[in-house]
Amino acid sequence: MIRITGIGAVSAAGGNVPETLESFRSGMRNAGPVTLFDTPLEYPVFEVKQIPEKYFLEGQRTLSLAIIAVEEALGEAGLENDLSGLRIGVCLGTTVACQLNDLDFYQSYHSTGTASMTPVERYLKGNLAEFVSRKFKAKGPVLTIVNACSSGTDSIGVALSWLNNGFCDIAIAGGSDELNRIPLCGFGSLGIVSSELCAPFDSARKGLNLGEGAGVMILERKESAERRGRFSDLYLSGYGSASDSYHLTAPRPDGAGLERAIMKALSDSGISPGEISFVNAHGTATQDNDLVEGNTLGRIFGTELKMLSTKGYTGHTLGAAGGLEAVFSAAALREGWIPASAGFNNKDENIPLMPVREKTEIRGTYALSTSLAFGGNNAAIVIGRICDDKKH
Amino acid sequence: MNINGIGIVFTRGRGIESLDKALQEGWQAPAEREIKGRKTFAYIVDQHTISDRTLLKNMRRADKLSKMAVVAASDALESSGIKDLNRKRIGIITATALGAHVTTFNFLDDILQYGDAGVSPTTFSNSVHNAVASYISSALGIEGPTLTVTQFFFAFHSALQLAQAWLLEGRCDYVLAGAVEQYGDVLGYIHDTKLVPAPGGRIRPFHFKPACQVPGEGSVFFLLGNKKQDNSFCEIHNVLLNADEKDTPQADLDIIDADGLLEDETVYKNCLSSAVPAASYSPLFGSMLSGSAFNCAAGALMLRNQKVYANPAADNARGLNIVTDTVSCNIELIRCIRYNCLGEKAIIQLGA
Repeated sequence: MIRITGIGAVSAAGGNVPETLESFRSGMRNAGPVTLFDTPLEYPVFEVKQIPEKYFLEGQRTLSLAIIAVEEALGEAGLENDLSGLRIGVCLGTTVACQLNDLDFYQSYHSTGTASMTPVERYLKGNLAEFVSRKFKAKGPVLTIVNACSSGTDSIGVALSWLNNGFCDIAIAGGSDELNRIPLCGFGSLGIVSSELCAPFDSARKGLNLGEGAGVMILERKESAERRGRFSDLYLSGYGSASDSYHLTAPRPDGAGLERAIMKALSDSGISPGEISFVNAHGTATQDNDLVEGNTLGRIFGTELKMLSTKGYTGHTLGAAGGLEAVFSAAALREGWIPASAGFNNKDENIPLMPVREKTEIRGTYALSTSLAFGGNNAAIVIGRICDDKKH
Repeated sequence: MNINGIGIVFTRGRGIESLDKALQEGWQAPAEREIKGRKTFAYIVDQHTISDRTLLKNMRRADKLSKMAVVAASDALESSGIKDLNRKRIGIITATALGAHVTTFNFLDDILQYGDAGVSPTTFSNSVHNAVASYISSALGIEGPTLTVTQFFFAFHSALQLAQAWLLEGRCDYVLAGAVEQYGDVLGYIHDTKLVPAPGGRIRPFHFKPACQVPGEGSVFFLLGNKKQDNSFCEIHNVLLNADEKDTPQADLDIIDADGLLEDETVYKNCLSSAVPAASYSPLFGSMLSGSAFNCAAGALMLRNQKVYANPAADNARGLNIVTDTVSCNIELIRCIRYNCLGEKAIIQLGA
């Protein structure tokens, strides 16, 4: 069994997990205009308002966000100190940090034929997982997953494979992405960004809002956790992934790829759909995503399923989304409640189920978190919680 | 884990036969290019090499990076000769260090020229790192897990390691794992500014210091499976990251990935044994951060053909035990060795 011995999160909803839960409890949506860079695009975004000085890295905001979440997660896992004696893998997802998309560098090269190598050096030292691994002196496999919007969920799934195959004893897994001008322009050009606050699964939804953040889990083999004297009531029980084999940007209309990913995550966990207490859906608030995802979830779990999208609190954080939503799902299982699915008001008659409209108590021991990516990859993880009477 | 099929696209052509031919013919001068008034070299894949109208019929808007990868991945399936593959049970792992940087720069051109609201959605979609894997999935009808991974030196090794895990777990019956990199003039500029350009376009893997490079491009994909098949090339015994020498048995041949991407490649000299012949085929492909995949393909071909191929760059000022002739011989084990700029090492152990 793979334990979740620590979780960490930073997003517009909060600088750590407790702050985030407070935003969820109060229904706070911290969106506003873009302040991080100049752009004429007037879309609301979910920015992290302040990065503490000790985490600031010039031109490497994605890494700063990651370090905040990793430190919080390591702290909960009792791994604050030197990790060099442990077999720790690092598997993190991103979209922005993998690209050399420095506009000043490119503009200089383009216009003069020369450019400073400083942004290149920064890029070459800024591979997300490599950076985190070196910073924390982790000795184990290292991999950055660049699977667009499912990167965070896939990273957790890859870490699960590493742990199950004995490649490492502990894994730092999740995702991180900054709000960046390039994807804002790109998503804007695709016509899927809303000029209002996003409304996942709502009949009047107009598209996504971009956000930023990082969500990280410390995953650990049971024997390792026990050896360190750590107990956790949370565990990662399954992962599934499947490709649509359909289109570069649009999800497959019948949701067959997503369904296979979910069913694989359930079978990995040895459970049936009825044992899922809630689903933290990808729920971007685009027409296509929510239609396909809502219908697929309805088909598998029935119309009474408790489900939500937390993107109403964080925006779509791209490579971080799967990591953040895994953390939120784990925290919700532990807390026993899920927040209202922010932005949802009106049922879409083409979607057979609705997200929860208010803070809702949950019972049960399993949660599912889903991600649908550009390129047609679908990923799902199942997180479990050990009930109090089974803890010992 | 077995290599059941290989597909390759590189400057000398497409397909495993092209690799065999290039290994037999040896070094050829790369293309000369002029970038912003400077002359330089690069190992470029000719557009004709990847003009496959049937395979790429729905990829008119895809970039060269994706087309090279789709062709290589398709050829890997084809070369396996395995009939009735269940495509829902095939996974894809694409490794790339730099991804779609050429398309990303095209997108930056859009922003500079037309402003934030005037950019092309098609260019943006193709600039995303996992566009390549998406095209492979849709062009080949593969519906298993599809992943894109990145690191600067060991992305391909990590992809192989993960493929091994997926096969062991039964997550897939086969995994198409491979690497792809594209050349662009901005990359050429970065190479020539940060690293030493190879005089005359000739990479000298056994010169070590100063190491010199010529950027390359291409793609290699491997169809990996648990079982040996009729057309199998070899086994991958192990993929070791940050390995000590003592972790690996002595091989019949060491292939080093020295290609000038480290300023000082003396680490490669230090890992070689006088008792084991050494080779490096980077002068055939060019210098690429995922170049290990190409040398791995050469190693797999040698094991299948039971033949060693002469080093394409023969200069051997240090008198090392390097392969100088192409000869048939008995080979059981090959080590493919890669170092990164921190002196960390990755080894792929290939066995007959």
